[in-house]
Amino acid sequence: MSYSQNNTEGYGLKNKVAIVGVGRCKFGENWDRSEEDMIVDATYLAYKDAGIEDPRKQIDAIYCGSLYSKNGPVEVSEALKLYKPITMVLNYCATGTEAFRAACMSVAAGVYETVLVVGYDKPKDRGVSGPSVNIRDVRNLPATPAGWFAVCAQPYFEKYGATRTHLAKIAVKNHHNGTLAPESFLKKEITVEEVLNARMISSPFGLYDCAAQSDGCAVAIVTRADKAKNFRSDPVYVKAVASGSAADPNNDPDFDFLRWKATENAGAEAYAMAGIKNPGKEIHVAQVHDCFTLTELLTYEDLGFIPKGSAKEYIDSGYFELTGELPVNTDGGLKTFGHPTGASGVRMIVENVLQLQGRAGPRSLKKQPTMALSHNIGGFPTGCAVAILGIEK
Amino acid sequence: MSSAGKQAGIENYGAYIPITRLPLSVISGKAPKEGDAEKAVAWSDEDCVTMAVTAGMNCLRGVDKSRIDSVILATTTLAFSEKQGASIVAKALNLTGDVKTTDVSGSLRSGMLAIQQGIDAVKAGSARKVLVIASDCRMGAPKSGIEANVGDGAVAVVIGSENIIAELTATASHANEMMDVWRRQGDNFVHTWEDRFINDHGYIENTVAAIKTLFTKTGKSAKDFSKACIYATDARNLGSVMKGAGLKPDQLQDAMFGKVGNTGAAFAPMLLVAALEKAKAGDTLLVTCYGDGADAQVFAVKGEVKDKADRRAVGFYLHRRRTVDHYNKYLSARDLTITEYPSADDQGISATVQYRNRDENLSFQGQVCGSCGTHQFPKGRVCVRCGSKDNWTPAKYANNTGKVLTYTHDAFYPSPEPPTVAAIVEVVLADGKPGPRIHMQFADAPAKEVKTNLSVEFAFRRIHRAGRRPNYYWKCLPLQTSTNNVGGAA
Repeated sequence: MSYSQNNTEGYGLKNKVAIVGVGRCKFGENWDRSEEDMIVDATYLAYKDAGIEDPRKQIDAIYCGSLYSKNGPVEVSEALKLYKPITMVLNYCATGTEAFRAACMSVAAGVYETVLVVGYDKPKDRGVSGPSVNIRDVRNLPATPAGWFAVCAQPYFEKYGATRTHLAKIAVKNHHNGTLAPESFLKKEITVEEVLNARMISSPFGLYDCAAQSDGCAVAIVTRADKAKNFRSDPVYVKAVASGSAADPNNDPDFDFLRWKATENAGAEAYAMAGIKNPGKEIHVAQVHDCFTLTELLTYEDLGFIPKGSAKEYIDSGYFELTGELPVNTDGGLKTFGHPTGASGVRMIVENVLQLQGRAGPRSLKKQPTMALSHNIGGFPTGCAVAILGIEK
Repeated sequence: MSSAGKQAGIENYGAYIPITRLPLSVISGKAPKEGDAEKAVAWSDEDCVTMAVTAGMNCLRGVDKSRIDSVILATTTLAFSEKQGASIVAKALNLTGDVKTTDVSGSLRSGMLAIQQGIDAVKAGSARKVLVIASDCRMGAPKSGIEANVGDGAVAVVIGSENIIAELTATASHANEMMDVWRRQGDNFVHTWEDRFINDHGYIENTVAAIKTLFTKTGKSAKDFSKACIYATDARNLGSVMKGAGLKPDQLQDAMFGKVGNTGAAFAPMLLVAALEKAKAGDTLLVTCYGDGADAQVFAVKGEVKDKADRRAVGFYLHRRRTVDHYNKYLSARDLTITEYPSADDQGISATVQYRNRDENLSFQGQVCGSCGTHQFPKGRVCVRCGSKDNWTPAKYANNTGKVLTYTHDAFYPSPEPPTVAAIVEVVLADGKPGPRIHMQFADAPAKEVKTNLSVEFAFRRIHRAGRRPNYYWKCLPLQTSTNNVGGAA
């Protein structure tokens, strides 16, 4: 099966690019840290991880992603004093994974050899607790993103019988995992009752169903797969990075409000590129976009981990918990890292690299994973990106 | 072909009274109880323009819009000193591109003056049909006597020479200049001089004088009128005018104090429409209005509107109510809450964006694909379903119904009564087929009433005030029928 309808030779990214270094700064309300501080923190962790001592000689190009950037890519080049070909990528909440995708394609195309991927955002300098909403026209509701992502809730609940309690269990799981991640923002165990009784944001999402706003930066360094072992002995290979989009669910005349089509589209492309036939078995660990608990629930199904409509049983059985069959959001996800938009996709890739290399510490899984997936979705939602990584070539 | 002196009168009518009622007991901090005196209040998404549009839609049901040559909006509460209200109303009502738009303002008589102006235009042959809408949204200072007496509402009539149900047969005016009731530029609230002075020498003296002049001009006397629609400042002074004119209490058209309140420029026309809802051919109506002078008019009733039972006018809306339980909600809805910072403001919605999107935003127009028949809103160039480009025919949805596909209760949207219900609504086309899906807010509905598959209709409302300008678009509200027209508590 080809991942691209017009590229029947299947000339994709599989095993052409490897990750040789990752880093993420402390995520949170970083009142005393600037964008530049966070970029430096995460990048120098990644340099160290890759054994890079002279980035001016060893890095060929920079791809960065940010939704709230005030100054554009110059924030990255000036923070690092690294003046290389630099490109800023933007695709709503999929921005981080999209920056990674662009970097991988540049390496696979042979344009560059070693590329720095910097995902970051600093929404907490804006003086408001919620996300930014652009009012372009009077009919663009200045509703919160919670309102956009909630539109699948009522139809899904009515069709499949899931309830707010199933959503709450996702929040409880991710909060638990977040207590085990040193760089996470919220380190607090919560209960299902607390989730259900929290103040309402946009029904059925209460406070704990929503990801927090936070500042953060995450970095990955990619290079040619055949030269990866020059950096470290256990590089992580890129199996696929795919992007998907779909019609605005608010207008789509054929939408059923039971899924996010952009996730289905990106997942299909990623699996075709990676050669994955049975994602529920072949993917061992996943970081998915839990901007809202329902997004995570729909993603289990939209990515084919489990059949459509079955999420409530799997949630009840603990299938996606750290000790479960297919652990999801092992570091606590957007729920506990918050969602500095450009950073989130790269932060997920960092977590998957740590899991695949057996470096996840207290978040280690009962069975060492060899194939990992990460997923971002954004817009209304309209755009999605999926990355699949493997420890074996 | 037209000739001066031909017949002209009211052919059709509609009205709008906001569903929200503020009990006078709530103003004074007491818990409301059923049967309390109350007033109709425009809510946070309503103003004189949105009320005018709904009254206009109600009036134009079954009317061929292409025959409306002129629309006149009468009001004293325009948002703009320089920028017409009638042009917005004409666009929202999908009137033809060659309609003449006029605002009549500055006086509480402007509603009846606009009706006379429309009748004069039809008589003179300069217009075939004129849509006259009177709409007002005045405020008294919080806790003042004026606040208790004024209410909000709108009324619309089509003036023409064909199917006249009420013909204007005589008018009389009485000019007067005094500083009795006013609002200066920028004033939020109605101001008055001392009560007894302004009523004795203003309202009562002038209204009675206009009625007596009318009697003299027509040879009629008080007993010749089936109903008297008397503009009044309040119920007590209304009694003085009735007495001064020799009118009997059983001739009085209910002035709706304690139910709606004095609706300003819309008040006298609203009483006239309420009378027409009950009148029969052969009746004679007396109408008076006051504000910087007084006018009295005689209307001869010629017949009834055809679809009287289905017509949304004063009777329909009197029964459609929900009461406000806390005065602070009213203050918040009318932007009277004191705050250190003004609400978030900027230059507002781009005027060029508004210009390009005016068919969608104001006229609620979408389009239908000539290749596959898919309806699309907002318009766009390429069909979402078949991908064909620039093959569209405009389609209008304001008078369609819709169906709720999904919804959420948004606790963050600024509202006097959060949460705000936002829904994805599928328009139901005239043939029952699905139209476009549109993300929109609910108006007037308690959040708990919203369900998937709920049938809705559409209403023109003020969405927000970005740029300190009213920004209008459409909302949905539960489909109103004559049997489900009672709202819940606010």
